[in-house]
Amino acid sequence: MEETIVTEQARPFPIKTLILLLLAAALLAFPLVVSLPFPRRLMILILLYAMLGQAWNILGGFAGQVSLGHAAFFGVGAYTSTMLLMQLGLTPWLGMIAGGLVAVALSQLIGYPSFRLKGHYFVIATIVLAEIVHIMFTNWDYVGGAVGLTLPLLPESLINLQFHSGNAPYYYISLALLAIVMGVTYLITKTKPGYYFRSIKDDPEAARSLGISITRYKMFAMAVSAFFTGVGGAFYAQFVLYIDPNSVFSFMLSVLIMLIPVLGGIGTLWGPVLGAFILIPLSEFTRIYLGGVGGALDLVVYGALIMLVAIFEPRGIWALVERFFGGRK
Amino acid sequence: MSLLEIKNLTKSFGGLTANQKVNIAVEEGEIVGLIGPNGAGKTTLFNCVTGHYRPDSGQVIFDGHDITGWSPERICKAGLVRTFQIVKPFMSMSVLENVMTAGFLHTNSTAVAKKNASELLEFTGLADKRRMVAGNLTVADKKRLELTRALATKPKMLMFDEVMAGLTATETNDAIDLILALHRQGITILLVEHVMEVVMPISKRVNVLDYGVKIAEGEPAQIARNERVIKAYLGEKYRAPG
Repeated sequence: MEETIVTEQARPFPIKTLILLLLAAALLAFPLVVSLPFPRRLMILILLYAMLGQAWNILGGFAGQVSLGHAAFFGVGAYTSTMLLMQLGLTPWLGMIAGGLVAVALSQLIGYPSFRLKGHYFVIATIVLAEIVHIMFTNWDYVGGAVGLTLPLLPESLINLQFHSGNAPYYYISLALLAIVMGVTYLITKTKPGYYFRSIKDDPEAARSLGISITRYKMFAMAVSAFFTGVGGAFYAQFVLYIDPNSVFSFMLSVLIMLIPVLGGIGTLWGPVLGAFILIPLSEFTRIYLGGVGGALDLVVYGALIMLVAIFEPRGIWALVERFFGGRK
Repeated sequence: MSLLEIKNLTKSFGGLTANQKVNIAVEEGEIVGLIGPNGAGKTTLFNCVTGHYRPDSGQVIFDGHDITGWSPERICKAGLVRTFQIVKPFMSMSVLENVMTAGFLHTNSTAVAKKNASELLEFTGLADKRRMVAGNLTVADKKRLELTRALATKPKMLMFDEVMAGLTATETNDAIDLILALHRQGITILLVEHVMEVVMPISKRVNVLDYGVKIAEGEPAQIARNERVIKAYLGEKYRAPG
């Protein structure tokens, strides 16, 4: 008999909760066990990119609107909090929220014209608009132009969001940010917006005929997505303490933000986390061992991975995990 | 006053006039048929009425509102809901989730949407397939799902675009039973078909389109005897003797 395929998650096997708890415990204990700065830094980047990937996933994975311009939201988030800190001395915590909100405003500006386009044309529009933002920031002297901004060193404290003696606080903040985005995404998938997003992805025409204002919900998905991407950008600025247009607005960053959920599992809750845990270490290590020679060899590895996923499991690696566990429920 | 009134509706694509000054009225609580051979302009008319196309001229009045040029979502919210000739289930969702999605038009609560959707699926006979992925349903079940989903928006009037095309005789009978059940609940129905046999027995009145022009309107029995309809629609050889 043909197996009946079910979209609702296979009944939560009891070990699922256990795995989740173990994972949470491991993540919380990580900085206590590992004190070397490099692995911690790597973990912070993984958590940050998992958050960015999940933010992208809300728009691209669930609502099906593939954006290759998310660096624009990341960049304005980073620049907003940094400028507010440098000009007004505003705490980066508020800067983070302000950065998220500026990213939302930008997303609505980009979304309104772009959502009139479908499929590939939408993707191209997001690339073009993000590049325009990139170029504007490169030529805008007030925000440092092409040279970028070096954040002022402040006394180490939570309110200043700067920690010089060790990076454990950054780790916990990035973990908390990821947890928030995961929570929001989970909530979305279980409620009306999540159903609407998926209907728009599956069949926008049918969605409209059922009374769903697809433009409104696309804009909403874009706003949520941009907000968390902007927050991520602001956090990044605080963590690295130096930003310039090429690091926070680059097209490659947009690509990376998209690749994480695509590789891990597009439109799934855990795909972006999985994707970040694979891609970010891969990117760091290829850069360390091969970066000097090849320059862009990490990109070649990305390309190869994407081809493998496209051939063997277009739904991403998370689908393999589900298949594996689904088989012995 | 009619629930739906199509007045002098004209729509052309380049040089081709798909609908020319079509007038159709549907009274509240009626089942009205719209038939015509392939290419007669039925689906175009449908798309003009439900907001997917903007008519070149003419008016569509629904429930006292001039809905000409409204967006599909707004028309749905006003209570006029359609199904598609080529079914459009949300392929990646389960049957239940499909219906829940439509039900969110009237509630923000997932629990309420789920409960309502389950009841509707019970009514339309898809309850035992509620957890199946919509993409894996048979054509007949997909059409049934599309109907259930349309119902979840609590429409005053349903417009079915060839809802029975491609069904077997048994499936067609089931579909007819379902449509009659909806009718008994007070939902007004416009049935678009090109298979005459399914429309004739259940419609109170039938409109006939040919080459974009309405050529006849009347009770099914009259239509079946109408010279122009027989000629245009069925071809010369079906003309009744005498």
